[in-house]
Amino acid sequence: MVVYSFYIFDRHTECIYTKRWTPRPISNSTKAATIASNGDSNASRHKALSKEDDAKLIFGVVFSLRNLVQRLAGEDNSFISYRTGEYKLHYYETPTRMKFVMLTDTKTNNLRVALHQIWASLYVEYVVKNPLSPVEHAGGVGVANELFEQGLERFVGTVLA
Amino acid sequence: MVVFALLIINKAGGLVYNREFHTGLAKLSSNDLLILAGTFHGVHAITRSLIPSSLKPISNPGTPQNFPQRPSGLEVLESSHFRLTCFQTLTGTKFLLFTEPAQPNVDSVIKRIYELYTDFVMKNPFYTVEMPIRCQKFDAGLDAFVRVKS
Repeated sequence: MVVYSFYIFDRHTECIYTKRWTPRPISNSTKAATIASNGDSNASRHKALSKEDDAKLIFGVVFSLRNLVQRLAGEDNSFISYRTGEYKLHYYETPTRMKFVMLTDTKTNNLRVALHQIWASLYVEYVVKNPLSPVEHAGGVGVANELFEQGLERFVGTVLA
Repeated sequence: MVVFALLIINKAGGLVYNREFHTGLAKLSSNDLLILAGTFHGVHAITRSLIPSSLKPISNPGTPQNFPQRPSGLEVLESSHFRLTCFQTLTGTKFLLFTEPAQPNVDSVIKRIYELYTDFVMKNPFYTVEMPIRCQKFDAGLDAFVRVKS
């Protein structure tokens, strides 16, 4: 299973955390999390989107689909994932309207539980319970701390490997 | 097997056909359905451009390909109450089929519906393309197929 990227959106629709993985991590573990910037030569069709643009598009997609799904089958119906020919997007929304999104390869099973675990055992432990972290993470302040990064790296490396 | 509904969206994003086979989804007005179809059309286009950068095909811009591999866009959407399968024809018409989450063989069902569409809609001399579908034989064929299967 391959994890491509991971996003957290807060309840004000802002992207407060982004992480992208290259498909085959370089042996050096600190280099493994660098953004995949393998010179996008096919610029004619796929214009290289910046990190922020990607996050905005992903937010737009999950927001629209979530509303669509709720309108079709009631408020208690939750959007879980979608799959295209190339990738699969997993979605988890906490009761406080924070949105956790993960992009993986198409053969991956449902990751809702894994996203819930990331929220409960990493985000709550290392970001919410951090006394130095602000209540609102405008611009992603306080989310990308060392413990959270390490925990996420370990989680993706072991549980989702 | 439970098939809730079928929507057909033309290549401009307009809803040309909707049919409910089984109750289970919320009752939507035709206006809401049109909005839904338009929204889905837009989201489908965005999902095609969201491909992870490591997956993008590396090709030379100088050498044009006859049949470039195009990203497919949203194919299956899962939610806790239903599953939405989207089949896009080569000409851009989208068939959306709403089924139970655990429904097997949706692909073959949707292929069969596509065959019915080509037989009874596209071969109908009185049908104008991209316009709402009003063909009795198509309705009857869908009924016979979906009802018999369920």
